[in-house]
Amino acid sequence: MVNITINGKSIQAPEGYTVLKAATENGIHIPTLCDHPELAPYGGCRLCLVEVDGFRTPQPSCTLPISNNMVIRTETPALHESRKFVLGLIFSERNHFCPYCQQSGGDCELQNAAYDEGMTHWPLQPGWKSFPVDASHPYIILEHNRCILCRRCVRACGELVGNFTLGVEERGANSMLVADLGTPLGESSCVSCGTCVQVCPTGALIDRWSAYRGREEESTSQKTICTACSVGCGLEVFTRDNNIVKVYGNWDSSINKGVICDKGRFEPMIEKRERIVTPIVKQDGKSKAATWENALATIATKWSKDDASALVSTKLPAETLSMIKNLVGNDFVSTIEPTGAALAKVSSEMKKPFEGKLSDLKQSDCILLVDANLADDHQVAGFITKRLIPNGTHLIIVDSETNPFENYADVVLTTAKGGEAALMQTIAEGKGRDNTAKAIEILTHAVQPVIVFGNCANEDAIKAAIKVAEKYHGVVLGTLGGANSLLTTVMGMEKPINVTKAKSVLVALGDDEPNQKLIQQLDKVPFKVVIAAYHSQLTAQADVVLPTGMWAEETGHFINLDGHVQEAVASLRMPEQVKSSSEAVKVIADKLGIKVNGDEWKKELTIHQSITEIVTA
Amino acid sequence: MAKPKISSDWMGGCAGCHMSLLDIDERIIKLVELADLRATPITDLKQPDESGVDVGILEGSITNTANEEVALRMRERCKILVALGDCAVFGGVPAMRNFFSIDETLKRGYIETESTDAEGKIPDDPELCTQTKVRSVNEVVPVDLFVPGCPPDPDVIFYVLSELAQGRMPDLKGDKINWH
Repeated sequence: MVNITINGKSIQAPEGYTVLKAATENGIHIPTLCDHPELAPYGGCRLCLVEVDGFRTPQPSCTLPISNNMVIRTETPALHESRKFVLGLIFSERNHFCPYCQQSGGDCELQNAAYDEGMTHWPLQPGWKSFPVDASHPYIILEHNRCILCRRCVRACGELVGNFTLGVEERGANSMLVADLGTPLGESSCVSCGTCVQVCPTGALIDRWSAYRGREEESTSQKTICTACSVGCGLEVFTRDNNIVKVYGNWDSSINKGVICDKGRFEPMIEKRERIVTPIVKQDGKSKAATWENALATIATKWSKDDASALVSTKLPAETLSMIKNLVGNDFVSTIEPTGAALAKVSSEMKKPFEGKLSDLKQSDCILLVDANLADDHQVAGFITKRLIPNGTHLIIVDSETNPFENYADVVLTTAKGGEAALMQTIAEGKGRDNTAKAIEILTHAVQPVIVFGNCANEDAIKAAIKVAEKYHGVVLGTLGGANSLLTTVMGMEKPINVTKAKSVLVALGDDEPNQKLIQQLDKVPFKVVIAAYHSQLTAQADVVLPTGMWAEETGHFINLDGHVQEAVASLRMPEQVKSSSEAVKVIADKLGIKVNGDEWKKELTIHQSITEIVTA
Repeated sequence: MAKPKISSDWMGGCAGCHMSLLDIDERIIKLVELADLRATPITDLKQPDESGVDVGILEGSITNTANEEVALRMRERCKILVALGDCAVFGGVPAMRNFFSIDETLKRGYIETESTDAEGKIPDDPELCTQTKVRSVNEVVPVDLFVPGCPPDPDVIFYVLSELAQGRMPDLKGDKINWH
């Protein structure tokens, strides 16, 4: 610990802390615009200058490491003058006209800093140079007139997302934020994660969806998790009048540390599917709106308990999955896309958890992707991978298809479909030629290799991946499928769909989308009950449709790909006639006289073998 | 002691700041008790007393030579000059036109607007003032007190005026600063 004094107050802080960090953690506010807790110190805006005994000039507190007996002052008249001067320069550089900006009135860090300094006006007027507005991106608007060149977005794009799309061209007053080498943002290499929007201190990077829809203080914020995939990123959902205003990544989530992808942040904005708002019952071949009473009565008459099956989406909460298991019995529940069957089989053969954690991936110096496409799905795992590469982390790709990360890879090993296992076996044995030899060489020297295998990997490939991990002292990590895929694997729901003999089927879709194969498989089932949030081809065929919540309306537990048990908390109220998925299953069970228990998943976790250690908060 | 004289005028603005002044409601009676409200756009006198006033208030930005005259006259005749509202303080909404040339804005305003027919014509009477770059008040004359806001909150306006009327310089900070 290092002893320092700030404004006469004695403070102890760990060695390596900056003055800003030590001050902030001790409740001393130092204004800053370019600094961000999740980004490397930059020292660009000069707003955080402090006086330090023994230093001739004020020092930027964001880059100054603390040292023993340092005496710091943050509130002297000279510092306030210097802050006003810095702010005056920033305001004069571009065109900051608060009345036309949606950040104004609390959400703008620049305006707040000026208010804090008691600025009633600008000491210098702007030069009336017009700067462009880049509105080429489907989700993000880049408004150069409001940019203060703090480079938070540039650093977030590189340091957190590993994408390096944003940068700054030219120098001094000609400096401009650019995407790639000056291409419009919408045509650039941007992956639409929106992290730049989340870190922008002004209204320079805004999201079309949330702009002008209300300030943060006018919204209600709810911390929850994303259920778009199995990574389980922490979210902060801002709502107003029961509408989503914006979705931010939760900086406090240990899993994603504030970074999310377009699926979590922006895709809810383009949700075009039609919502189901009442139960629907098919009568004489026609689907008609019905009451819950009618719908449940229909189920009670036509449901054949002894020949019933259920198909579940992996986007459903643990509580709903548990109840469905009770409803039809363990042997008769499958997921709607049982892609985890191979993993479930491997898991049942293993004696103990065999997968690592995302924290292993975050520290890895060699990542081996086996049939894992981290650009389209599980993107945040992809960001973690990509951001490590500039630090020297090696990337090896084993894939039967073109992997989008090939450009970042040290070695790309292409195999025929199904050939992954054999290739991995060769690597595990430590013998091979050409590129395989190169991969082996890299793995041999790696300290913390992580083998990430995708959802399509077959049993042999997974086993071979485990062998590779054993040989090179690394860990394996499966990307799995949906938000609750780990739980469906543990609970034995990852098995091929078999509804040929079923007379009644319950399909619990939640807000998931049924695929064609599923619809075909269900074609011949005499009685179909679908629990869904949105209309689809499947709900059109169903005998009874029960309306349920979409992701932001459901509360329940999810276990992410590396075993973290997390709770999704509803940020929106459900429409009048809609019930949560667990409630919907519960009322069906009550009507059929079957006892269900939404907490049973907890017991299952203790009974069954999991692929990775379960972590409860 | 005689009550301090307060005068106000408006220039390139929307009159919203004066509307916000009227929104102090019944407190205007208190104000009249404290100060002598002289020429304002909402009283009958049209120009601040030649003999001078204690407080002069200007709303709006300086967009043409007529506004310049108003600003210079007010500065000359008042002891304390107050820039009221975002237009007077920063340039505000009218300053958006600074991104275009004056010809372009005149053409857009008098000829190209959707409601203008073929007879549209840019006024060119020599007696009319000429348009200039839009400036905040302190770009033209020195300002003693800036009261930002679009418009400033009535409570802030009342605070400012009652302080000035009682011979004190208002101290705008915290909740009283709002650029909107």
